[in-house]
Amino acid sequence: MTADQKFNPIRKGLLEFLILQIISADKVYVADMMKRLQETDFATQEGTLYPLLSKMRREEYVDYEWQESESGPPRKYYKLTAKGKSQLAEFKDYWAYLNTTIHQLGR
Amino acid sequence: MNTVIIINLNGNAFHLEEPGFQSLRAYLERAQAQLKDNPDKTEIMADLEQAIADKCGRFLRPHKNVLSAAEIDEVLKEMGPVQSEGAADAGAGASNPPNAESKPGGAAGAAPKRLYQIREGAIISGVCAGLAAYLNVDVTIVRIAFVLLTLLTTGIWILVYLVMMLVVPYANTGEEHAAAAGAPFNAQEVIDRAKKHYAEFKDSKEWRRHWRQQRREWRRRWHENAYWWGHNLQRNVHQFSTGAGYGGHLGATLLIPVLAVFNAILFCVWVAAIVSLATTGAIFGWVIGGSIPLWVSILILMFFYSMISRPLRHARRAIYWNTSGYNYFWFAAWYEIFSTAVLILICWFAYTHVPEVHDFFQHFVHNLTTIWNNIVESFHHTAAHKPDAGIDSRLPAAAAAASTSAFLAMRT
Repeated sequence: MTADQKFNPIRKGLLEFLILQIISADKVYVADMMKRLQETDFATQEGTLYPLLSKMRREEYVDYEWQESESGPPRKYYKLTAKGKSQLAEFKDYWAYLNTTIHQLGR
Repeated sequence: MNTVIIINLNGNAFHLEEPGFQSLRAYLERAQAQLKDNPDKTEIMADLEQAIADKCGRFLRPHKNVLSAAEIDEVLKEMGPVQSEGAADAGAGASNPPNAESKPGGAAGAAPKRLYQIREGAIISGVCAGLAAYLNVDVTIVRIAFVLLTLLTTGIWILVYLVMMLVVPYANTGEEHAAAAGAPFNAQEVIDRAKKHYAEFKDSKEWRRHWRQQRREWRRRWHENAYWWGHNLQRNVHQFSTGAGYGGHLGATLLIPVLAVFNAILFCVWVAAIVSLATTGAIFGWVIGGSIPLWVSILILMFFYSMISRPLRHARRAIYWNTSGYNYFWFAAWYEIFSTAVLILICWFAYTHVPEVHDFFQHFVHNLTTIWNNIVESFHHTAAHKPDAGIDSRLPAAAAAASTSAFLAMRT
């Protein structure tokens, strides 16, 4: 197993928080999210993203509204809920904590 | 030229070539199976259909309104396999165990896994490669198993390969490749494939030409043979009427079908013994004493089978020579055909009348996995004991030697 393969579960686990982060900036629709993630290590596919978003919506971290588009059918624009915002803040704190832990342990 | 099918994706009509339609349908069916227990299933399916529709749109022009199979495959590849609860769950359960024990029916388990033929890296048709992906073992092991089974069954196993070649679908799309390694195939699909392949096979011109040639050749040989038979018979009758007597000769000829039936029954018992040993750890309820690992006991069974069938084989051969002389080949062929027919008849009878056998065939692939896992486990078992017991490490080598001699004995 290569290092990259070992990082796979980490990336999968983090995806949910990265999506919260992307949505926190502005309302986005799925194709936008995919484009943003495409350039990173977290590139993902619709097959994964739609079920994940529906789960996050069920858990009330995100919500969506329909918006007409100039080209094509109306799109679902996702935005953060209050619960989602606090979850993101919690995640960022935890991430910073993890970072310091990793660095301190190495010393 | 290709048949075009019109479909409705979340309210949009699309024209697809038939193979493309098949892959799309397979993709959506698998997505539905994955989302079976998801409360938002309908919504997610609609989202997925809309996403596919958006992607398809880019291939369409004012004068190009049909999507080719390759374009659909590209779209589905971009979509990626649908995961039930999003990425978070997939991360937690990274090593998905085969869904063998969770659902005995196995219609729609956690990861839909299907049997395909895989062309990439195939030697003949890809049956072994597909089976290897399905059983999650190395392709070389499957190939060796097929060769050994062919040798053991004096070639009958080839038929299994041929049937699988015609019946098992090819993995064409990326999706199907994923599914090849990732629920048993449904029966209707298999039947449809078999019909389609048979129709193609029958319709092809080459095949018809080939068949005509073959028939001509057979007819020619038949005439030649008839000549020889007549010739020989005359001579034999003459010889026997003056010599040993024709009665014994006739008796020996009648013995052939009896031996063939006996041989077929012996083979069935042998296979049943191995299956019962590998699934329950005992031969028809009789537990072999001690800590003999499974694979060693299987080798011992193979050895016994060859010991019992050896005198039979010699008797058969002696009869061939005595009765036929020049026509040894024809007698041998007749014998093999007859014993195969008996074998099939026994299997069919058991299938329709013995519920256990019926169940066994129903769960054949599942059983095969269990058997295989048990055998692999038995190897690990010996390996684990190797360091502390010197005898154990020598045992596999001795068993391997025994098995080789057993195989050789069976071929002679």
